[in-house]
Amino acid sequence: MFLTSTDLQAIWLTVRLAAIVTVILVLVGTPIAWWLARTGSRLKGAISAVVALPLVLPPSVLGFYLLLAMGPNGPVGQFTTALGIGTLPFTFWGLVLASVIYSLPFMVQPLQNAFESIGPQPLEVAATLGASPLDAFFTVAVPLARPGFLTASILTFAHTVGEFGVVLMIGGNIPGVTRVAAVQIYDHVEAMEYSNAHGMAAVLLIFSFLVLLVLYVWKPNSRNIVRRG
Amino acid sequence: MKLSLNVRKNFGTFSLATDFTVDGNRVGIFGPSGSGKSTLVSMVAGLVTPDDGEIVLDGEILFSSRSGINQRPDRRRIAMVFQNHGLFEHLNVNNNLRYGLKRCAVEHRRIDLEKLVEVLHIGHLLDRGVNNLSGGEKQRVAIGRAVLSNPRLLLMDEPLSALDDALRFQIIGYLNAVSSEFGIPYLFISHSLLEMRLMADEVVSVEQGRITSRGTADEVARSRLGSSPVGYINLLKLGRPIQAAGLYHYPWGKSGLLLSVDSGREETLVELSSKDIMLFKRHPEAISARNLLACTVRSLFGSGRKVGVELECGGETLIAEIVCDAAIELSIEPGTVVYAAIKASAFRMLPS
Repeated sequence: MFLTSTDLQAIWLTVRLAAIVTVILVLVGTPIAWWLARTGSRLKGAISAVVALPLVLPPSVLGFYLLLAMGPNGPVGQFTTALGIGTLPFTFWGLVLASVIYSLPFMVQPLQNAFESIGPQPLEVAATLGASPLDAFFTVAVPLARPGFLTASILTFAHTVGEFGVVLMIGGNIPGVTRVAAVQIYDHVEAMEYSNAHGMAAVLLIFSFLVLLVLYVWKPNSRNIVRRG
Repeated sequence: MKLSLNVRKNFGTFSLATDFTVDGNRVGIFGPSGSGKSTLVSMVAGLVTPDDGEIVLDGEILFSSRSGINQRPDRRRIAMVFQNHGLFEHLNVNNNLRYGLKRCAVEHRRIDLEKLVEVLHIGHLLDRGVNNLSGGEKQRVAIGRAVLSNPRLLLMDEPLSALDDALRFQIIGYLNAVSSEFGIPYLFISHSLLEMRLMADEVVSVEQGRITSRGTADEVARSRLGSSPVGYINLLKLGRPIQAAGLYHYPWGKSGLLLSVDSGREETLVELSSKDIMLFKRHPEAISARNLLACTVRSLFGSGRKVGVELECGGETLIAEIVCDAAIELSIEPGTVVYAAIKASAFRMLPS
């Protein structure tokens, strides 16, 4: 086996992180995407820009500000300290919070596109058939946007797996707590353990390729998700 | 159903302002594209909010800018059939049909799903996905879904305009069957005068965001006789034909009519333009037109530069049109007997 036990530990940590971040982002990103898809508010442009910031910002910049915010003098840090959790930097949950912010556009943008492509009519139809806005959202908008949810979740998961800069700034390099796969590769290279680095790099390469292959080859559409009976 | 609509709405350069009350179960909103009729019904449904005014249905205020009332569309119990069916693609036909039914309070449920499925002939489609339906089938399911939500008012916004001619008449048949079977009051929106005459008792005409006239569909058709390029279209209900000397003889009135085509049906609806009827003061001994009917003038009405002549022919009614000079020359007045000549090929059969 070309992977060491610390490699496997890093992979497991990465998968756990990506899964938790994806779940949180489905819950947080869906209302944001829904609002952006439906609003006529003047704030739409500003909110869209904020959501897209992680796409263009250097991870070190994002990581730096997050570190300040989560530190003992930052607003998040003071809040978490008041709650009795302590500060978040260099903890797993600090990493989760940073990743949620870093991967936000990968969840929100595909979902927003999916909601926009549904258009207003199905929801108007649902309303005239007696469905409340929330009812129509769950029984019409969400099922029709299912391909968008799949794309967004896959992209978010994959992007979180590939994180490096923000993780290094917020989480550091604590085995089993914050040392994710990308950081582990960096460590191997620093220590001149090229064969180990190869093993981990190959795992990430194959994973990333498979994710993109799934996205491009298998285009989910609403026709094959018709519910019978 | 009694609906009062006193509303105003501005969209940039277009403004809509109406103040009318309709009382009836088969009401038509008639007007050209872009006249504001869809906006009007969207306001009734609650999908568009008026700038100000009041909407009252059967004594219940749905919208009132003065009292700050604006009932949510899902609480109005007003269903809508859209031009492009609007079926939910993620649900099959059965679940589409049940969508509104499930959300209808038990005390309002009076329409039986099985009965409706039978009236609309959609029983064999229930397990299908909606993408596997033809255009006419989709619209039948959409109508069924709206009716099954047991609305107190059904809005139909150009439900036939996306369909070809044959399907339009098929769906009109289904709509009339649903209407007579379940008795749900409806507002029928269309730019087609023919659809108005087949679907509505009372018609409200809308142009450029304003109500221009009210009356029966037939009155609207008569008022447009002079301005319409096709004149007034007589709609004649004919029985089963028998072959007669290369033509087909259809029972109609006392004497019947000769047409050049065979319907092959027990009952047929045919169109005859007022322009295709020629009037003679005396019996012309020999003419090429195969139908020569002795008629009594019942009334005359002006429409633009034309005169409409309502004729009584063996218990049936025909509307012919002539120019003013001809009316004077023929010295036509109510009670005058004239002869109406119609070619056997002048009739247009409507698809069943």
